[in-house]
Amino acid sequence: MRILLLSQSRNRANGRLVTTRKEVDSDWVRVGRNASSEIHLADPRIALDHALIVDRDGPTYLEMEAGALAGAQRANYKSERLTPGKTIEIGPYRLVVDTAPEGFDCALRVEMALASDSGAPEFLQRARQLSLRSIGLRKRTVAMGLMVIIAIGAFFLPAAKVFDWPWVEGAKLLSLTDRLWNPGPVMLAHQPVGMKCEACHDVAFQQVRDASCLECHANIGQHIGPDLKPAALFDGQRCASCHRDHKGTKATHKDDDRLCVDCHRDIKTHAKQEVASQNVSDFAKDHPRFRLSLPRAQGVQRVREGASPLEEFANLNFPHATHLDPKGIKHPTKDKRVVLDCDACHRPDVSKRTFEPISMAKHCSECHNLAFEPAVTTRQVPHGSAADAVAAVREFYSDLALTGTRDSFQAAFAMPGEGLLRRPGQPSAEAREAALRVARAKSDKVTRELFERRVCKECHVVRRADTEKGPEWEIAKVRINHTWMPGARFNHASHATEKCSSCHDVEKSKTSRDVAMPKIDRCQECHGGSHPEMNKVTSNCLLCHGFHVDQHPWDPAFKPKTGKRFAASAGGP
Amino acid sequence: MLLCLACAIAYVWHEPPIRPYGGTWLGYTLGTIGGLLILWLLWFGIRKRRYARHSASLRGWLSAHVYLGVAVVVIATLHTGFELGWNIHGLAYVLMVLTVASGLVGVYFYATVPALMTRNRGQDTLDAMLLKIADLDRNIAHKALSLPDELLALVNDSVHKTRLGGSFGRILSGRDPDCPTARAIRVIPEAGKSLQDEIANVDHEVYAMLLRKQELLTRARRDMRFKALMEIWLFFHVPLSLALLAALLAHVVSVFVYW
Repeated sequence: MRILLLSQSRNRANGRLVTTRKEVDSDWVRVGRNASSEIHLADPRIALDHALIVDRDGPTYLEMEAGALAGAQRANYKSERLTPGKTIEIGPYRLVVDTAPEGFDCALRVEMALASDSGAPEFLQRARQLSLRSIGLRKRTVAMGLMVIIAIGAFFLPAAKVFDWPWVEGAKLLSLTDRLWNPGPVMLAHQPVGMKCEACHDVAFQQVRDASCLECHANIGQHIGPDLKPAALFDGQRCASCHRDHKGTKATHKDDDRLCVDCHRDIKTHAKQEVASQNVSDFAKDHPRFRLSLPRAQGVQRVREGASPLEEFANLNFPHATHLDPKGIKHPTKDKRVVLDCDACHRPDVSKRTFEPISMAKHCSECHNLAFEPAVTTRQVPHGSAADAVAAVREFYSDLALTGTRDSFQAAFAMPGEGLLRRPGQPSAEAREAALRVARAKSDKVTRELFERRVCKECHVVRRADTEKGPEWEIAKVRINHTWMPGARFNHASHATEKCSSCHDVEKSKTSRDVAMPKIDRCQECHGGSHPEMNKVTSNCLLCHGFHVDQHPWDPAFKPKTGKRFAASAGGP
Repeated sequence: MLLCLACAIAYVWHEPPIRPYGGTWLGYTLGTIGGLLILWLLWFGIRKRRYARHSASLRGWLSAHVYLGVAVVVIATLHTGFELGWNIHGLAYVLMVLTVASGLVGVYFYATVPALMTRNRGQDTLDAMLLKIADLDRNIAHKALSLPDELLALVNDSVHKTRLGGSFGRILSGRDPDCPTARAIRVIPEAGKSLQDEIANVDHEVYAMLLRKQELLTRARRDMRFKALMEIWLFFHVPLSLALLAALLAHVVSVFVYW
């Protein structure tokens, strides 16, 4: 098949139409945008392989699938015999069949029907805004805008207060203050400080200084006494090393044994000096026996429990066993025996943590009355001063010797007669002396009995000194221990589900020398260590101990140097 | 992955003084790693424009940008200790998460859209489709002149009022609910029933061309939408990332002002 091709194109330089002539001798002629096509139509509207001209009883134009799809004019397949005079439209081109010259099967002229930019520009004009950018969206403008807004709103306005920039008032007005920088709520006790950041953060770009804390917490207890040189031991530590605020409203530190155990695991080394504390790492596994504070003649002493039981010297005779006798105890006025239990004497104080102090007037005097004359049970010696008691006895019998009726005189002195002043007439010097002698002899006897045999002696340690004026008695100072473990925070109220006797084994105690404080293994029956354990209360150091404890509540002589303390932490029984 | 895992292990192992937060030594470490990562990720915006210098292939950079971008979320979350509030610190975190999320949307679009785009275009470019539509318009306008007024009006609407793009909604949805061409196609079959002879033939031809135009319009709109999808996430990603830069600096400086 020989085909003559005449194609028109426009000269780029001068715009004139140029006709090129090409002869093709082939079984088929390709039409398309593909550069290898024999009829090359360079227009985006033409498919790569748009059509084929083949010899099918004469040259025939066959539009192929791609061409049919891409064809701008028709959607259906096209197959046309190329007879002279026929025109086929292919996109913007026109294929005109001319009369074939001699020796050719066909002559084709390719004409540009429309220039690509001519025709109906209206649609193209309208369809110009096809991308996001074309409708005016600008990444960079938005980005810069946001950046500036955030920089100003989140930094330059809030920072005005810190750096004294002139727009402080404006920032307040917009409520863009350093409140924005607050990383979290401060603990409840600090909330009165409110949003005054500078109250604690007083110097910009510096960590919160201890001075800021101590402005309020001026009297906070040290961890250890001044004799242990806390400044050297805690060098480099700040309040904020342990106390971090803005971590919620509950607390500024964690109940974490690590805080304590880091040093107390090997406290002897860490303290760099001789200390009474022993190493400890966990309550369940490795806690030393308790150290009790015991009042002794030479002052309060701290004594660690050992293999043998501790003894207390309270200068008081008090057998718990007698008082707690399940059959009851004799009462001076009631007929029945009275059964006492612990709270007959040990009444919780208002805190419920511990108990009201024991006193003679409140707890003992109902049974232990201080009557000294069997005939007159309503008269008692005063409690508290030995000299007053001696005077009271002497006054009683002197008065009886002076004004006693016959009956009471005879009952008291076991001799016939009556009070001196009751006898008729002026008493003779002899009679006066006799009355005085009788009264004095009786009161001396009763006093001696009172102190050395019956009443005082029953409970107290009594010392007698024979002086020129006669015997004098001294009641040894009673040392009832109230704070046994000053380093521990113990709350009786938290243990109210237990019986007293679960911890304090006093029912068989016959002497007040017995110490009824529970040993550590008794505590360990319920309290585990810092790691959770089945059926045990997980107990870390801070459950019982405090850090700021340097106030020696067991030492009555101790006076804090800084005056009043409000951070009392240790205490309890 | 290793980085995330290492950070997570450190987080679990670490026993903070009160509870996990940005101010413990691990918090500062994670914060520093996260902050430096963010700066490096931002550098990608500059690096991708530097064609001349090749410290590593841009492809490698992009891959690292994506993976480390995701890692930043993990690291920054650990840095917060899972504590967020209505403050500058929370703002920085939220911006970081949004930036990464918009980036991931981009990753998704880049993974799925190009294939759809190629399939939709076939052998045409968007320009070719537009030219074809313009050609069709001319032919339709010419042919329709012999149609009754009522139909001519419909066809003229299609020729003169069909829109492509022009508004955010139309570009991104790839649709025009009020397209005159679609309306013409809907109405003509019914309205042209009464036509006869030559006019009916013309009507058929016009209708066929309108269908063709509609098909091209649909493809062109889809193409436009695909292109927009490939871009749209960047309109969030870039501004958010720069906002994040500002918030990050404010976060860091403010933390140390009130140390």
